[in-house]
Amino acid sequence: MSMELPPKKPRSTKKLVRNVAIILAVAALYVWTFASIQIDFARVIERAQSNFDRVIPKLFSPNWDRAGEVIDMMIETIFIAYVGSLAAAIIAVPLGFLAAKNMTGSRIFSTLGVWILSAVRAFPEIILAILFIVAVGPTPFAGILAIAIGSTGMLGKLYAESLEAIDMNVVEAMQANGANRIQVMFHGIIPQVIPEFLSYAIYRFEIDVRASTVLGYVGAGGIGTMIFFAQSSRNWSDMGMILLVIIIVVTIFDYASSYIRRRII
Amino acid sequence: MIEFKDVSLVYPNGTQGLKDVNITIEDGEFVVIVGLSGAGKSTLIRSINRLVSPTSGELIVDNDNILKYRGRKLRKLRTKIGMIFQNYNLVRRSSVFKNVLAGRLGHTGTLRSVFNFFSKDDKALAYESLKRVNIEDKLYSRADELSGGQQQRVSIARVLTQKPKYILADEPVASLDPPTSHQVMKYLKKINQEDGITTIVNLHFIDMAMEYADRIIGMRAGEVVFDGPASEVTEKTFEEIYGRSIRDEDFVGGAEEDQDDSVKGAEEDGEGNE
Amino acid sequence: MVKEMNKPSLAEDKYAPMLSPWRVKSKIAIIFFIVLFFLFFSSTRTGVDFGTLLSGLSNMGQITDKLLPPNWGIVGPAMERLIETIHMAIIATTFAVLVVIPVSLLAAQNINSNKIVYNITRFIMNILRTIPDIVLAVIFVGLFGIGVFGGIVALFVFSLGILAKLISETIESIDMEPVEAMRASGASTIQAIAFAVVPQVLPQFSSFSLYVFEINVRASVVIGLVGAGGIGNLMMTRFGFNDYNSVFTIIIIIFVVVVLIEYISGKIREAIV
Ligand SMILES: Nc1ncnc2c1ncn2[C@@H]1O[C@H](COP(=O)(O)OP(=O)(O)OP(=O)(O)O)[C@@H](O)[C@H]1O
Ligand SMILES: [Mg+2]
Repeated sequence: MSMELPPKKPRSTKKLVRNVAIILAVAALYVWTFASIQIDFARVIERAQSNFDRVIPKLFSPNWDRAGEVIDMMIETIFIAYVGSLAAAIIAVPLGFLAAKNMTGSRIFSTLGVWILSAVRAFPEIILAILFIVAVGPTPFAGILAIAIGSTGMLGKLYAESLEAIDMNVVEAMQANGANRIQVMFHGIIPQVIPEFLSYAIYRFEIDVRASTVLGYVGAGGIGTMIFFAQSSRNWSDMGMILLVIIIVVTIFDYASSYIRRRII
Repeated sequence: MIEFKDVSLVYPNGTQGLKDVNITIEDGEFVVIVGLSGAGKSTLIRSINRLVSPTSGELIVDNDNILKYRGRKLRKLRTKIGMIFQNYNLVRRSSVFKNVLAGRLGHTGTLRSVFNFFSKDDKALAYESLKRVNIEDKLYSRADELSGGQQQRVSIARVLTQKPKYILADEPVASLDPPTSHQVMKYLKKINQEDGITTIVNLHFIDMAMEYADRIIGMRAGEVVFDGPASEVTEKTFEEIYGRSIRDEDFVGGAEEDQDDSVKGAEEDGEGNE
Repeated sequence: MVKEMNKPSLAEDKYAPMLSPWRVKSKIAIIFFIVLFFLFFSSTRTGVDFGTLLSGLSNMGQITDKLLPPNWGIVGPAMERLIETIHMAIIATTFAVLVVIPVSLLAAQNINSNKIVYNITRFIMNILRTIPDIVLAVIFVGLFGIGVFGGIVALFVFSLGILAKLISETIESIDMEPVEAMRASGASTIQAIAFAVVPQVLPQFSSFSLYVFEINVRASVVIGLVGAGGIGNLMMTRFGFNDYNSVFTIIIIIFVVVVLIEYISGKIREAIV
């Protein structure tokens, strides 16, 4: 064919250099990763062959004799999550106000609030649990504290965001009307954010139920304790029972939580 | 040649989309299908490339009943039928060139196309198609940076790149203003005349249908209620097709008198609007 | 202007538009009592009441005695294991990102017209998401033995569930018109996906992949606790020896690195979307 080819795409050298740099960086990252990771495949395969029959079939045939005990520990787990989330839902309110840009009128405070909240969020709950076990001993209380603190980080951030999104006209109108700070707070701000706060708190409770299932592994109460013992004694049908209960309970809480949250907002 | 033989289509919900349609469209014709909203224009046009499947009758394209086509055969059929949509249906985040090259997909192996290995001929053809609708300077722009009229021209270029035997256009100008609409219709007409591609267009503006069509097919409630050369059509015919008196909104207006150099003139008009 | 208009109406109603009528108030009261009711049960079950709370909080003072001073000697070995942790996260994320492509297409209603396959895929992914990372790690370490391999597999499975949900929802929200145009021109399903779906989801796809990498970094710390390699493993050993000074040092290191990685990844994600 004698048709003309399209002109080449004009490429800026800056972009080209940037792309090459990115590709090199990513390639270096992978070379470094795969060169230094140490996996003894022969051993992994050997283990998998010898363990497979001992682990997988048992996992799928849960030990129903332990069902009562497992469910009982799951209830403790839910209670830990409940108290922890409730505490977080309350502690997060002042922190949310602190972090919301339109509430304190001071950039320093809101930056400080944001910093505290994101610092808290950087800790996985189970690591917080380890810290609190050191402080108060291996009890459900440590678990509750871990959940409470861990959730405060996320809830405070979400609260702050919904505070920043409120209709400030109402607030200004009330201030102009001579309402004092408390009145503005309770009649102007809180009613606007209550549904969202509630919805976030419930959402976080849903996450916390999942999170608190593992805290017992380090001694902070709940069903995680049983995970630890099942692992130590290689009792995989107990593990199957635990897994089954966790899957069912977490699924129920997921559905219930999203149902309630849809109704609220 | 496209032949509808007693074609009916009932949608799964029971709506009768087409009812005993019998028409024959000869090669090279420029047919405009008119009818009120819900008359079944889209259903008719989309039956031809089997985006919808008629439930009874025979639909013959190039001497073969396409209603039994599946899989590879259906794709083969679709490669020779280009389609233009009301909303242009471009990939908005991709470049104009990539959108136009997509017209070659039906002719290109899956592996080659996924890795973007198009032949030199394909690329040249895509560029040529863009030139034919005077939008080659937007080659490397992102599709969503273009105006509606420009996007529709890109979609015409995509169809040209497909090298189809038939072009189906479902309300190609319904989202455009009058001058741009005429410009797009003129490109379609020009392609029909220069390449001899059979073209079937759905329109709901009376003046447009009369200006561009060789032949007009009128539909109402899934049935063909009129079929004749555009020269025989009057406003009275439309009143019969629509089953109501003609209103202002049935006209697009903005037709240009200046017939020579028409596409070029429209082009400048179009640019002025952007 | 706005204030002028609002003033009289607000004065008239004494803030009534914002104040809850009695029905709402009684609703709030009911919720309040339900909350308290459960709190009562929880506190009897977990043995945490106001007393423990107070004594616990007063004990909190001793925590610094136990944790401090940091054991800087552990920094060297900790960094080594931390790098292992990050490598586990990189490998697991990479495989999850590759595998999620077909999985999320199967779990997207607008792409996969086979209802049965669609529902099965969704079901499996939903189940995967309910299993905590640590439980997965316990299982795969039990299967493959102590070490990074079991950890990587656990992270892979864990992040696949999350990623599949995020990506399939993204796919379900795309504009289907260009897909229809491709199909109408005779393109195969794979071609239509490559040309019309991929460009639409690529930015979110990259962003979610980085997001899941962040999640995997934290998770790979955590799963180390159950024997899946990395810094979590070291921490659990020190914890077992009641060597709280080392535990605390390790926590500080984890904190710094997690924050750093999330910061960098967040910046990249901002640049992408
Ligand atoms: N997928 C579908 N399922 C069920 N009914 C449909 C479907 N598509 C179209 N219909 C119905 O079939 C009839 C014909 O629709 P069609 O889209 O062909 O009309 P049209 O003439 O193109 O109208 P418009 O000018 O509004 O585009 C209408 O009653 C419509 O509601
Ligand atoms: Mg239509």
